[in-house]
Amino acid sequence: MASKPCLELDEAALIRAAQDGDHAAFEQLVRAYDQGVLRLAMNLLRSPEDAHDVYQEAFLRVYRNLHAFRFDCSFHTWLFRIVTNLCLDQMRKRKVRKEEPTVLATAEGPMDRMDAVPEERVDGDPQRYLFSGQLRRKIKEVLGELTPRERVVFELRHYQGLRLRKIGEVLGTSEEAAKNCLFRATQKMRAALGDFL
Amino acid sequence: MTECTWSREQFALLFYGELSFDQEERVEAHLDRCAACRAALERERALHAALGAIEVEPSPSLLRRCREDLRTRLMNAAPPRTPWWESILPQSGLLRPVGALTLVAIGFFAARLLPSTNLSGIFNTASAAGQERVRYVEPAGAGRVQIVVDVTRQRVISGRADEAPIRGLLLAAAKDPSDPGLRAETLGILNAQAASADVRGALIYALEHDHNAGVREKALSGLAPYAADPEVRNALTAVLLGDSNPGLRTKAIDLLTRGDVDREVVGTLQELMVRGEQLGYVRERCLRVLRAVNASAETY
Repeated sequence: MASKPCLELDEAALIRAAQDGDHAAFEQLVRAYDQGVLRLAMNLLRSPEDAHDVYQEAFLRVYRNLHAFRFDCSFHTWLFRIVTNLCLDQMRKRKVRKEEPTVLATAEGPMDRMDAVPEERVDGDPQRYLFSGQLRRKIKEVLGELTPRERVVFELRHYQGLRLRKIGEVLGTSEEAAKNCLFRATQKMRAALGDFL
Repeated sequence: MTECTWSREQFALLFYGELSFDQEERVEAHLDRCAACRAALERERALHAALGAIEVEPSPSLLRRCREDLRTRLMNAAPPRTPWWESILPQSGLLRPVGALTLVAIGFFAARLLPSTNLSGIFNTASAAGQERVRYVEPAGAGRVQIVVDVTRQRVISGRADEAPIRGLLLAAAKDPSDPGLRAETLGILNAQAASADVRGALIYALEHDHNAGVREKALSGLAPYAADPEVRNALTAVLLGDSNPGLRTKAIDLLTRGDVDREVVGTLQELMVRGEQLGYVRERCLRVLRAVNASAETY
């Protein structure tokens, strides 16, 4: 805890240096946050290609607009606002397109793109393995049925660990609205997944 | 709404720690006297835990590709333009409108009161002094423009490569985006000083980011004696996983698998096998090393 103000000081210095055109400082800022950005985009969009595109566009926007950053909020909030807006746009486009299928036809038969991502092993228990696979598929299905806004709030709270107050700041809304959104998302998850538990 | 229904609706927020003190007290008090809700809470806890099973961690190679592509795009992107008035206006939110009004007033009165200035003299002086480049052009009102010009002068500096001012210039030249020949020549000189951390940093930067394979090759040669250094190993791993040049990848795998092979290298080799490595030498080398350490060639 004691080191936090020092880190914030360093970050402010980095941001000011980057605003003055210091490329190394900008790169340090990118490195400080880019794994979180990529993880958020990957989990929200469930596609490495789309996550890659969001990563590129988010940091290019930061680069172009950093001079306008006035420390009115934290850099993390500003960056995640950009990332979540890009992800929301992408998710809304998908909704209009009736959702891009995650299952692709390949030479070896149908394959879920996200199954390429390593999953936690449940060695030695085939029944548990089968159940785990079914549950994973069901969770993904339910997440796909949430509205883009519910999906983002749920992702930021459950997987990124942001407090509702911060989520409100990121999304440009109140803590209460974020709370209601999370409430709806968890209600839907419970209703759809109750039979599995 | 019954107390049971209300309490169960709060379970998710309870796990997230997002209930107020009073709300949490109310739920806890109800749980103390309701066995059915305690059972429901356990089911909710299991659901909460199960949701963690689908969290995705981006692969190291995706992260590397993102970083590489961003670097390329930033190199090609126009530098962000800060309007000149931004550097004059105060940073404080309250004072900014006052500063903006002051600037407008100065501009208004200056345009009316000052005699027109002939800038050709200034330009002629700059032209005579050295190379110049127009950096920004901005309309300044009343048909006038304001131009910011970079002026470059040449001078010759000589000294030993390990002297601080010379080394500083060499490190800057190693990143000069305009001339790969200059970068390669500079790295050739810096390679002899790779024992120094800042020089190694410049070599690693070139190896990871330079677009010219010849420059990257120079950097790799300079780093070869330091292949045991963790940062050098990271850079070699990036080359092995993602460089477009087969020769560099071959050298990288040789350096990474020289001597004892650590777990990270094993993971990298497994990733290459899973991805269906196309380069014969690299594939064979992967298999040989993985067999030698009794590691599977199929999972990572």
